[in-house]
Parts: sequence; C-alpha cells; structure tokens
Amino acid sequence: MARREHTRNLVLLVVVALALALVPHGVSIYVRSFLLFTMMYVVLALSWNIISGFTGYTSFGHVAFYGVGAYACAILVADYQWHWLASLGAGAVVAAVMAVAIGYPVLRLKGPYFAIAMLGAAEGTRVIATVWDSLTHGGLGISLPSADTSMPAHYAMLALMLATIVVAYTVGHSRFGIRLNAIREDEGAAEALGIDATRYKLAAFTLSAIFPAVAGGIQAYKVLYIDPPSVFFVQITIAMALMSMLGGKGTVVGPIAGAVLLYTAQELTWVNFPTAHLIAYGLFIIIVARFMPRGLVGFAVDRGWIRKGMVH
Amino acid sequence: MGESPDDIALDVRDLRKAFGGVRAVDGCSFAVPRGKISGLIGPNGSGKTTTFNLLTGVAQADAGRVLYRGEDIAGLKPFQVFHRGITRTFQITRVFREMTVFENMLSVTGLNVPDHAARARAEELLDLVNLTRLRGEYGGRLSYGQQKLLEFARALMTDPDLILLDEPAAGVNRTLLQHLLDHIHRLQEQGKTVLIVEHDMNVIMNHCERIFVMDYGVKIAEGPPAEIQRDERVIEAYFGRRRQS
Repeated sequence: MARREHTRNLVLLVVVALALALVPHGVSIYVRSFLLFTMMYVVLALSWNIISGFTGYTSFGHVAFYGVGAYACAILVADYQWHWLASLGAGAVVAAVMAVAIGYPVLRLKGPYFAIAMLGAAEGTRVIATVWDSLTHGGLGISLPSADTSMPAHYAMLALMLATIVVAYTVGHSRFGIRLNAIREDEGAAEALGIDATRYKLAAFTLSAIFPAVAGGIQAYKVLYIDPPSVFFVQITIAMALMSMLGGKGTVVGPIAGAVLLYTAQELTWVNFPTAHLIAYGLFIIIVARFMPRGLVGFAVDRGWIRKGMVH
Repeated sequence: MGESPDDIALDVRDLRKAFGGVRAVDGCSFAVPRGKISGLIGPNGSGKTTTFNLLTGVAQADAGRVLYRGEDIAGLKPFQVFHRGITRTFQITRVFREMTVFENMLSVTGLNVPDHAARARAEELLDLVNLTRLRGEYGGRLSYGQQKLLEFARALMTDPDLILLDEPAAGVNRTLLQHLLDHIHRLQEQGKTVLIVEHDMNVIMNHCERIFVMDYGVKIAEGPPAEIQRDERVIEAYFGRRRQS
C-alpha cells in the first residue's frame, strides 16, 4: 500500500524532471530564469522545512547558508580558478561545518529565541562577509568570469532540486523523520522515550543547511556577480518560511507546492501590478494565514482528501 | 532489607534535589523489588514526581545514587536511561498530538530494530490496547483515556524491563482503569518490574505488593499494603497535613 504510493510519487518526479530537462531549450531567457528561481525556491523551502517543519525549530536565518554557499562559489571560481561544480561541493562542506558550529549552541534555544538567534546569526554572517575584505572583497562584491551560464545553471539547479526532494521525501517517510516530528511535538517526552534530541536536531539542522548553500553557489554562478546585501537578503529567509507555511510545513508536498505557487504569484503580481505587487502579496499571505493555518496540505487533510500523517 | 542484587531492580540511595530553598527530595532511599508491582505514594508535594524525574534523568539529582543493574544511572540523560531498559509514562499524557497514533508508536523504537519489526511491534501493541482502528488518527484527536492507552502502549515499544507509571489512574474511567491494570499485571507476569506513582488508594492498596510512602522528600514508611494502611506515620502524613491546610 505504502510502496505503491512511493512508486507513484517517483514516477511523478521522473516526469517532472524530464519535462524540466527538455523545456529550457524551447523557451525565452525570461522563462528559463523563472524556472531557475522556482526550482531554487523549492530547494530552499524544502530545506528550511527539515529543521523548521519536521523538527519545529523555526529558523529566521537560513539565508546565511545560502549566502555562504554563494560566496564559496564566487571566491573559489573568481580568485582560485576552481571549476564551478567543485566550488558547489566546497560550499556544501562549509555550510555543514557552519551549521554544526551555529547549531550546537543555538539549538538549545526554543521557539522565538531560536528564531531570533538565527536571525542574528544570519546578520552576523552578512557583516563578516562585508568586513572581511581580504577574502570576500567586502562591499564591492565579487564578479565571476563572464560566460553564458544559464543552461548549466539550469541543469545544476534541476539536479539539486531532485536531490533535495528525494532527501526530504526519504527523511519525511522514515523513522528518523518521525523522531524529528516527536521532537517538534514534545521534546521532553521525546527524550524520555529514547530520542537523543541534541543529535537529531543537529543532524536535521545540518541537512537543512547543505542544499541552500549549493543553491546559493549555483545562483552566484548564474548571475556572475554577488555582494553581501544580495545574497544575505533577509527576504530570502522569509520566502522560505512563507512558502513552507503556505503549502503546509512538516510535509513534503507542502513546501514544493508553496514555493511554486508563491513564486508564480509573486511574478504575476509583479508583472501586472508593478506598484501594488507587495500589497497583493501581503493580502495573499494574510488570507492563507487566516483561513489555512496549516497550509494547503493541512486544508486538504482536514477535509479527508489526504490521509493524516506521513508514515502509514 | 534484602540486599541481594538479584531481588532488586532499582536501588535508590540518599537521593537529593533542591529547587532553590525547597528540598523536594531530601535524602530518599528505597529499593524497588524486581519482578513486582510497587507503589510510590505520599501527600501532594511530598516529592514523588520529582523522584520519578530524578530516576528517569528528566531532572538531575544534587546528590545520591540510583543503581540499576550495577550501574549508577543518576546523572544520565533521559534517552540514556531509556535505552538501559527503563521507560515511563507521564502524569498528564504527552502523546505527540500532530502525529498519527501509528507514528506515535513508531517514534519510540530502538535504532537497530529493522523497520518491519518495529511496525509489527507497533501493530501488536495497538491491538493489545484496542487502538488499531485509530492508527491513522492524530494523537491530539483521541479522548483522554485513549491518549492514556496510547502512551502506555508507546512506552512498551522497546520491551523495557522497568516501567514507571506516573498516575495511570488519573482522569481515567473505571472500565478503562481496569483495562490498564490488567495490562500492568500481565507485564508483571512477564517478569517486568513496575513502579507506580498514584493518588488512587484503591489502585495502590489492591495492586501493589510493596509500597513506599514519601513525605517532605524522604521515605517515611515501606511495606506491604496491609502494613502501610495501619502505619501511624502514614496516617499522620496524610491526615495531619490536611487539617492544617
């Protein structure tokens, strides 16, 4: 029963992957860029969801990992002549180390304290990137060697998105994921029932840091110029959170659907109502928060369209 | 006191815990007999739940030892205590509310247990407490009694040796209580050790072989139910205090 569901989902993923692999050849640069951003937000929302949705630690600073990944790519490619794909791997490693270093103290905090501490960690990272001239070129930013990068970036982002979906799906449907949920629901009870919360939280946090770092690296390679304000932009964190919440945090479909819908809505409102798009965007969020507090997936579950729970 | 380690499941020695100036547990010692159902009673605020928390690592003792299988487990973290074969339930149920009944069960499994074995165990225990038909329902949607049963079943997922039950009878109707007590006796028949904290004297007097009575953070009496019922210190602890309040 469960196996048939997994097979169906895998087939669905393969179809989407094939479509996204073929589409960029026949579309305008605008559409290609739109697809790249959509895939990127799927990666970001799903990653954020591992620590904040599955585990219940709402992070307001996940852009830190995205920014660090972007910087790792830009520095290694521009200053050290690395191959850009290798630099993505380096970015992932740096983000993982950073996640352990930040997570170990900060994951002791709960609720709003954790959220604020993460906001501080992200801002701190941005400041370091701004003042550490010798490494990051400070506020001047970094330019990468000019090249037509839009196709390779598209495929790299597609591969990253597929990897993120597979990992998030596997975690969500595993006993590891269930234990993360238990920590979210009642950390004290979870520990009393044999779950080493510190280790699990750190693992979830690190996992949730790796994919945004790679996404940041791909994005840097795509746009060929980064500076601290653009890659440590608070709004990127907010987008991750909102997309997950709109779709339904703590699920796998939720953040994917939320990222696609919200990013599309943002593009449409921006194109059609250039002055009013932020208002429209805000209204949209208020409506969702008011009428679907547990997101689209929660809405569907409450009506019996989707079964409760992830493991059956 | 029979000091033979074979007869004792849990040996608590001179346990102490203060919260600021309040000495909640103040040099408490008792030995929980192996393979039996024991009760821990005492008036409100006598230190029962704190003792439970110290035994399970939820709170850290200031001093004292808790010997389990020859090892001092005082100071261990809750999950470490759990993996040594000691499990507990809570006074107020703590089921995972936004997880299904089945997920609640699966969250409590040994890391080395293969998936199919964990699932089989979960099914078996849910069947035992008659919750199979609710396996796909959220924990938070269950009635209080059902949550109590779920918590009880969940605590048994890893087949523990020592089971600590914090007020199993609280808020539970008579039929369900009888049900729970039957399960508890079945566990004892399987050779498990059970320690119950309970206010319901009927439960304690009729189902425990040995009773420890606490007052002001220390053990004031210990013995079989008939003896405890006649013990003057116990009567005084319960009724003397009540007059003052």
